[in-house]
Amino acid sequence: MTQQKLGLLFMAPVAAFLLIGFVSPILIVGWYSLMEPRSFDLNTVFTIANYRSAFSDGYGPPFFWSLSFAAVTTLTCLVLAWPTAKLLHRFAGRGAAVITALIAVPIFISESVRLFGMSLFLMPGGGILAGSMRALFDLSIGSVLNTKLAVYLGLVYVHFPFVLFPALLGVALIPQDRIDAARDLGASRWQVLREVELPLALPGLVIGALLTFVLCIGANAEAAILGGQTVTVLTRAVEQRFSYAQDWPMGAALTMLVIAMTAVFVFPALSRLDLNRLIRR
Amino acid sequence: MTASRLLHQMAASNPLRSGPNRRHVLGGLAASVAASAGLPKMARAQDDALALLTWDAYADPRLLDMWREQTGTPIRYEIHISDPTSVNRLRAGETNVWDFVNLNNPWAREILWPENLIYDLPRDRFEPLYAQMFEKFAMPYDWALSKDGNNLLGVVQRFETFDFVVNSDVISPEMAKDEGWDLFNNPDFANRYGILAYEDWNVMDICMGAGIHPFKPKTEADFAKFEETARRWINNARLITTDFVQLNLAMLNGEIDLYFTGGTYTASSARAEGATNIYAITPNSGPADGKGGINWIELNSAVANPNRKEAAFDFLEWIATPDAAEIIARGNGNLQPVSQMAQDEVLSRFSADELDAIQWDEFDQRIANAVEFDIVPDYDRLYDIYSAAIRDRG
Repeated sequence: MTQQKLGLLFMAPVAAFLLIGFVSPILIVGWYSLMEPRSFDLNTVFTIANYRSAFSDGYGPPFFWSLSFAAVTTLTCLVLAWPTAKLLHRFAGRGAAVITALIAVPIFISESVRLFGMSLFLMPGGGILAGSMRALFDLSIGSVLNTKLAVYLGLVYVHFPFVLFPALLGVALIPQDRIDAARDLGASRWQVLREVELPLALPGLVIGALLTFVLCIGANAEAAILGGQTVTVLTRAVEQRFSYAQDWPMGAALTMLVIAMTAVFVFPALSRLDLNRLIRR
Repeated sequence: MTASRLLHQMAASNPLRSGPNRRHVLGGLAASVAASAGLPKMARAQDDALALLTWDAYADPRLLDMWREQTGTPIRYEIHISDPTSVNRLRAGETNVWDFVNLNNPWAREILWPENLIYDLPRDRFEPLYAQMFEKFAMPYDWALSKDGNNLLGVVQRFETFDFVVNSDVISPEMAKDEGWDLFNNPDFANRYGILAYEDWNVMDICMGAGIHPFKPKTEADFAKFEETARRWINNARLITTDFVQLNLAMLNGEIDLYFTGGTYTASSARAEGATNIYAITPNSGPADGKGGINWIELNSAVANPNRKEAAFDFLEWIATPDAAEIIARGNGNLQPVSQMAQDEVLSRFSADELDAIQWDEFDQRIANAVEFDIVPDYDRLYDIYSAAIRDRG
């Protein structure tokens, strides 16, 4: 057996798994998206009515809010993660592990439990923050709960670790001698950051940004638990079609659009990524 | 209300719990792996289990444990998202998945029985259960019978009115009953109320607020009035959530003064904890044949699944026993009236505080002021108007 045939043979189980587990559900959703609105059968009478509705029936705001929140959250997390990763890398072995654990452990707790906790913290009146301020300092403060700001804070809180740890990996890729060489040659701190550190750490940063962006596009709990549905995010709009509206084809069409939109952002970024370099092969 | 109790309630009412989550996905994966690995014992246990498609009270662990101890049969269950969702699942062929379905009153008579999705019950065995319920349910009780009156379609148990809830420290209950749904039309309460996103119920409530009978066909003028009311109510809401504990907390914190949709189901647990200012209201009047409240009655039926037909019948009979009915009335931490409370043996199990929590003293009056829940004609169009207004919010 040639090496190529052997490779195909070894690949077959994984390929079959991907085909059954990942490709076929998308094909079924795609098929449903071409069915008559509010129908439950898969047949061969196709229509683009659902896609037309997606562009004409007021789905712009959910797309806008999900994309905006995803973009702003990703940017914020990157800005916060860079100095944190640098510090954790510099002080590795000297207490950094404790801080890393403090950031990592909450990931193992259900997201909705964490968000309910945050809701209790932000609640006005008897909430933990407002109640403590009143009890300790006799200060009455308002609350950001049930606002867009609360949604944003929740998104950053939940997704920060997803940027931090890949960023930490990226920072670890920067050899100290390159930074020393750049400084010896007279580079300013800004030049070192822009021309040495960021390009070398880019794979980690891109992975973190992609993870966060994609997760934020699909995020619903923050808007539901902290935002009081002050805005409707994409996932919620899709959920409404599948549940109370009982309009699976329309829900499927929206799902396909979300997948397409995500692909537009993810594939160009992934194509620039050299994973071999990241894992130091 | 203690912090631990509060957190327990929050977890119990977590809107994300009923949907697919990481645990369900992992559980599903594990089940698939087990099935593919040919683990016959596990597969048999799954086959033997009685499968409930139900609202949450019937998934109370105490109820499931008691049934298993008495019969040796385990139970698996799934909580409804909404009545229509589950009806469509049965229509889509899930009759071979479920044995028991618990839905609001119209579905069995109007859809499930005509489409052969449920079994009729032996009348000699099940009609005596109705003799032990309140007078309202005396046979022939239409919602439990097929349209021709020949077939018994289920066992009635939980029932109540489901309208709105006020903070009685801010709005007097008597005034709220008199004003009814116009409270939400009053500009003084803009940004002072919340919406519990049980969205099919929200549609009915907005009909009431727009002066439209929710259960009768609508004119174009009705649709226009509905849309105007829906957009105003949704835009003026302080918060919208699927979690009624969040709404009760917002009311206790002074963030809101009232919310719809709500009733005993959403208010009783907070009232039982001492927050008796959380007060369920059924309007004294409204546009539904002069009534402003909506009275739902759950009908428990046997899904047309031949594999466990007898076990489903046994379960339907068993839930009407005093011990089971008591657990169901306290199901999942929420106090909820059940038809068996007509029996002294059941009613006496509830303390005065618990009866106060379900506002038992005015329960009959609330039922009298409510129209019985029914299928909403033109629901699809109304829901599309409602959901478009939700998307535009903010």
